[in-house]
Amino acid sequence: MKLSSLIAAAMVVALPSAAFADWPERPVTIVVPAGAGGGTDSTARMLSERLQAKFDVPFNVVNQGQGGGVVGISTIKEADPDGYTIGVIYNFAHYQPMGQADFNVDDFTPIAQYNFDPAGFHVSADNEWGTISEALDAIKAAPGDYSISCGGGCGGSWPIAAATLLNEWGVDMSQVRMIAGQGAAGALQDMVAGGFDVVPSSVPEAGPLIEAGRVKGLAVFGSERLEAFPDIPTLKEETGMENALGAWRGVVGAKGLDADVANQLEAALKEIVESEDWRAQMTGRGFGIEWKNSADFETFMRGEETSVREIVGILGL
Amino acid sequence: MVAFDALKLVFEPQTLIVMICCAIYGLTVGAIPGFTATMAVALLVPVTYFMDPVPALAGVVTLAAMAIFAGDIPGALLRMPGTPASAAYADESYQMSQRGEAETALGMGLVASAMGGIFGALVLILAAPALAEIALKFSSFEYFWLACLGLVAAIAATDAHPAKGAIALFIGLSIGMVGLDPVMGQQRFTFDNTYLIGGLGFIPVLIGLFAVSEALRYGLSPIKRPDILPMKASTMFRGIWGHLRRLKWSIGRGAGIGTIVGAIPGAGADIAAYISYAVARKFSPNRKEFGTGTVDGIAPATSANNAAVGGALIPATVFGIPGDSLTAVIIGVLYMKGLNPGPTVFIMQPTLLYAIFMAFLIANIIMIPFGFGAIALFRKILAAPPGVVMSLVVLACIVGAFAVENTTFAVLVMLGAGLLGFYMEENNLPLAPAILGVVLGPILESTFLTSLAKAQGNYLEFFSRPLAGSLGAITISLIILPLIWKAVSAKRMTT
Repeated sequence: MKLSSLIAAAMVVALPSAAFADWPERPVTIVVPAGAGGGTDSTARMLSERLQAKFDVPFNVVNQGQGGGVVGISTIKEADPDGYTIGVIYNFAHYQPMGQADFNVDDFTPIAQYNFDPAGFHVSADNEWGTISEALDAIKAAPGDYSISCGGGCGGSWPIAAATLLNEWGVDMSQVRMIAGQGAAGALQDMVAGGFDVVPSSVPEAGPLIEAGRVKGLAVFGSERLEAFPDIPTLKEETGMENALGAWRGVVGAKGLDADVANQLEAALKEIVESEDWRAQMTGRGFGIEWKNSADFETFMRGEETSVREIVGILGL
Repeated sequence: MVAFDALKLVFEPQTLIVMICCAIYGLTVGAIPGFTATMAVALLVPVTYFMDPVPALAGVVTLAAMAIFAGDIPGALLRMPGTPASAAYADESYQMSQRGEAETALGMGLVASAMGGIFGALVLILAAPALAEIALKFSSFEYFWLACLGLVAAIAATDAHPAKGAIALFIGLSIGMVGLDPVMGQQRFTFDNTYLIGGLGFIPVLIGLFAVSEALRYGLSPIKRPDILPMKASTMFRGIWGHLRRLKWSIGRGAGIGTIVGAIPGAGADIAAYISYAVARKFSPNRKEFGTGTVDGIAPATSANNAAVGGALIPATVFGIPGDSLTAVIIGVLYMKGLNPGPTVFIMQPTLLYAIFMAFLIANIIMIPFGFGAIALFRKILAAPPGVVMSLVVLACIVGAFAVENTTFAVLVMLGAGLLGFYMEENNLPLAPAILGVVLGPILESTFLTSLAKAQGNYLEFFSRPLAGSLGAITISLIILPLIWKAVSAKRMTT
């Protein structure tokens, strides 16, 4: 290493605040509050590859999925807002009212949302319900008779989506049995065995069971039908309700992230999400694409913070 | 079609290279007395974290198969079984070696091991999908009982006193309770520490319990090794054909016993070898020679312990319920790789799963050339200074724990688990029930709470489904029958 670069490196270490102008000068860490291999991890890795190419420094993905994401999200929240630690975040409004961790929109600097996966309403193949309206009416008539799996915890994206829908349909939510478990995969199997009546989850997660004729998808909670599952109608077609409910993922920094860094990242992410190879790779793996710039992303998260906390209160979680 | 795709996955260069490396690693670790197969796998887990699912799991099953065989080598030449699975017949083969028949003992052992392993793998490939079809009818009630069965078996299968097995199990269950509870997401034993919210990571605990504890024990009292008996690898397979023809039914019976015992929760390769040895002794025409060094005793037992690995993979993949500490680790890797074990994995990712099964079958076939190499090089393997090997083990533990969790806290957990494991072994508390507790605890808790929520608090619902009721009855009778048996025999003694 040359002496000059050594001195430069020493200065960067000594004067971190002076580094903003030339961000990024050293590797950036992307904290992923999920284990390796899942959807959050694979989309984050796809992003990091492309960010690395754009900014010419390594963007290292660090997985911290412990505690249902609490550990990773805490790391993002508590990181120095110098732009060298950013994170991928997903539906997090429920941690605070459920007493798991104190995360609020104000703790982060929103950069951009890059993904949205609509929830699907899944029932066993031998269930007599043919449409989502039939299912909703049946549950409304006798809310205590049916059990709905939350997949994982009941504050997660999928059960909250289902609960929001039922609530809007006028179902007495205090009677409905929402049952927590160990993830959507186990819940779907349990439903096939007759253990649950409904499992809300992402459609690709239930995909192989739908193809094997064990599970029926009654509706998808997005604005249009999914390319890979053209037979499953949208909520709007079936009920006229215009809800986009499901799981989302976006990039954030810690509170007070330098505006210039945030703008650079936002611009880079916009280019990535609009590119053709991103579209191909995301759809190929069954992920939905959604773009929201930092302002829209913030508005969206604030709206969700209110609505999710309301439904968590109604469910009494 | 699935089978063809699966084969294609196995024959990818990356998978093959990983399998070869794991075979060499497994044979080396298995051949060193004191190292267990579980420890070998535990040390590999952090590495698999960074691999694709098929190479990762193909590597793990290859390693398991090789390590179980390699345990035979020091058994024959040093009278020290390399892994507990070889303990049943270590004496038998050592006595052959003393007579200068080490070549036959090891050659026969290698061929019988491979045959047992292949048998177990074929049963796995054929039986697992059929069982999965039945397991699709299992809801949380049935899984609750399966988890209970696993807990009972975890205690029953240790050779320690049942009370000590139970203590170890409860230590494991307590470790599994730290963090967010698996159903409601409430914090337990976290003391407001963000890291503890994540719980004590499975991998750091695993490496600590099985690898660090071993290094600590060695550091305090290095094992003295007797001289290695002489043997010539080149004449290893001489006369094997005759023995094979004579013992074909005996080896087949051993493989069958091994597969079944392996598939029973709680009983693993070591118990399979003991049972098979005892059965062979009972039915062999040469039963008088047993105990004086005869291949008639070695072959069925060594075929059983390799078949047991395949057998143990059946409940592990079909139900996600571990049978022994080795499969507990394999289940951990399956989850890590997004292949949630359970009947639906046969529908969701059949290609990946069959690729792993095929890899296991192939591992048992290539065991013959690789095992031959390990026997020929055994003297060199043992020449590695144990102090250096142990330091490398500790280094690998620290790097591994950090690499998987990305927190220095994980390294502390790993070291803490190492001290715990050391303490437990010093006090004759078995480690296997502890790791089973860590894996089974959350399964037990979530299936119990989910079932109770479904039943709206009515405990009788746990017996209302026919399958759940039968499983419940089996579990409860497994606990109660031995107690009644004991009471009855105590009464007979007094009268």
